[in-house]
Amino acid sequence: MAMTVLVVDDSATMLMSLKATLSMNGFEVETAGNGQAALDKLSSGLKPNLILTDINMPVMGGMELIGKVRALPGFRFIPILTLTTESEASKRDEGKRQGATGWIVKPVAGDDLVKVIKRVLPGA
Amino acid sequence: MATMREPLRNDVRLDGHPIQEPAEELKTRTNHRWSYARRRILLMLVSAVIRPALFFLTLTYLMGQVLDPFRLQVIGFLILFAVMPVVFVTFRELTEARRGIAALGVVGKMTHSELSNVGARQDAMRDEIKDSKLYIDVIDNQIGDSMTESEREVTQVIEQISLLVQRSNQQREHIGRSIRSGKDLTEKTEARVETNKQIIAGIEMQLAEQNGELRSTYERIQGLADEVCALTPLIKVITSIAQQTSLLALNAEIEAARAGSAGRGFAVVAYEVRKLAVLSTKAAADIGGKINATCKRVYAELHEVKASIELHAASNNISHLIAELGHMQEEFATNSQLLLEVIGEVDANYAESVHRLSQALGHIQFQDVMRQRMEHVQDALHEMREHLLRLAETHDDLGWDGTIDPSFKSILAGHFDQYRMASQTITHENISGKRSTADHSRPAIELF
Repeated sequence: MAMTVLVVDDSATMLMSLKATLSMNGFEVETAGNGQAALDKLSSGLKPNLILTDINMPVMGGMELIGKVRALPGFRFIPILTLTTESEASKRDEGKRQGATGWIVKPVAGDDLVKVIKRVLPGA
Repeated sequence: MATMREPLRNDVRLDGHPIQEPAEELKTRTNHRWSYARRRILLMLVSAVIRPALFFLTLTYLMGQVLDPFRLQVIGFLILFAVMPVVFVTFRELTEARRGIAALGVVGKMTHSELSNVGARQDAMRDEIKDSKLYIDVIDNQIGDSMTESEREVTQVIEQISLLVQRSNQQREHIGRSIRSGKDLTEKTEARVETNKQIIAGIEMQLAEQNGELRSTYERIQGLADEVCALTPLIKVITSIAQQTSLLALNAEIEAARAGSAGRGFAVVAYEVRKLAVLSTKAAADIGGKINATCKRVYAELHEVKASIELHAASNNISHLIAELGHMQEEFATNSQLLLEVIGEVDANYAESVHRLSQALGHIQFQDVMRQRMEHVQDALHEMREHLLRLAETHDDLGWDGTIDPSFKSILAGHFDQYRMASQTITHENISGKRSTADHSRPAIELF
């Protein structure tokens, strides 16, 4: 059974390109345009195997989303990867404190992204 | 100042456009500035004179009061600490007053038309600064529109790639089904050929057994026929004996006739013996004929059976069929393998396409990186526009003391905190020569 990835980004091109990349590699993909939209999807019963989120987004950013997802019942151990242009160390440390599993700086090659996802998602 | 030394024209602005303002207005504006400068200088001079005077008067009064040395020391220190800021402030104001006097001196040497021209230039500068808003807005929108167009085009590219991916996925499913069908077909055909081979091998074995039994039966019949045919010489012997017996009986009959009535009884016996001998001869000839005829027919049949057995034994139709089946099986296996290899190659090509498309999609992410970088440039343009407008407004403020806060330098320095990418920081560092405290040294992919 295909694993589901929830992709959160405010850029339409990013959502489309990530959806295509992950679909090609056998993943089911759900998308959300910001942190709040992602939380709404999770609250309505979506149970992805992994969340891939941007950091700087309108309405609700990635940092806040990570913190809120970790507080949801049943989402404490779900892998959360960030995919962002932010490369500064202090931001990464903040992400780690919030509960991110890993930090990926844009742009990332499709193969590398899939490798990282498969690494944090055993059996993918 | 260079502008002071150049021949001044009171009819044009800095940008070469003729001055539109009436001369009276210019004169009023210049007079206004004159009076402002005079007021400032007067105030500074008064302040610079009155404050020290008050200070020294106070000091003299206190010194005049005879106090004990301790109180005098305490009061002295208090005065010293109280007076120090006043001295510094006075020093600063005196410096400003000196500058004002110097400026006044410069202004004082200028003619009215020159002063009007300075004012006109300053106004032109203010108007020019205000016009920068339109300039910046146009550039800002150019960048914004370019980004929108770029995003639209990239979206179309991604849509095309997604379509390609969708079709590739369908094709891959077809390939997967073909592989499965091909394998099933190969396995089933191989199993069927194997079964047929076994059946044919069984038939061949049965035929071989039947052939052996037939040969054995043939040999037994031939042996029997040989034995029967071997009786023919015995018939000849019997015939010969019967013929000799017939001759002997005839001789005995002749001799009995010669003996007369004494040989009458013997003559009867001799006659009967001769008749018996004739019958025996006939019977032997008849038996011999029948044996010969039977032998001929049996041998003829045996000959045909033998020919048939030999023909059957010599025939390798079944073996040939089995060999054909084996060959067919090998050929089928080879072709199946070839087909699977072709399908596998198509699958490998598909994997390669997926790899390349993934890479291409990764590169497309650069559009988002570029968008964010350009958004920062737009923000910087907005900042510049606001700053220039503030400068233009400050220009009209007669109470402006010349302080610019924030300045371009401080605004630019603040950008270090807004950068998200290492590339933005590097560009800034290379151009400005300043070093950022941000740490962008960690790897692009980091698992915690």
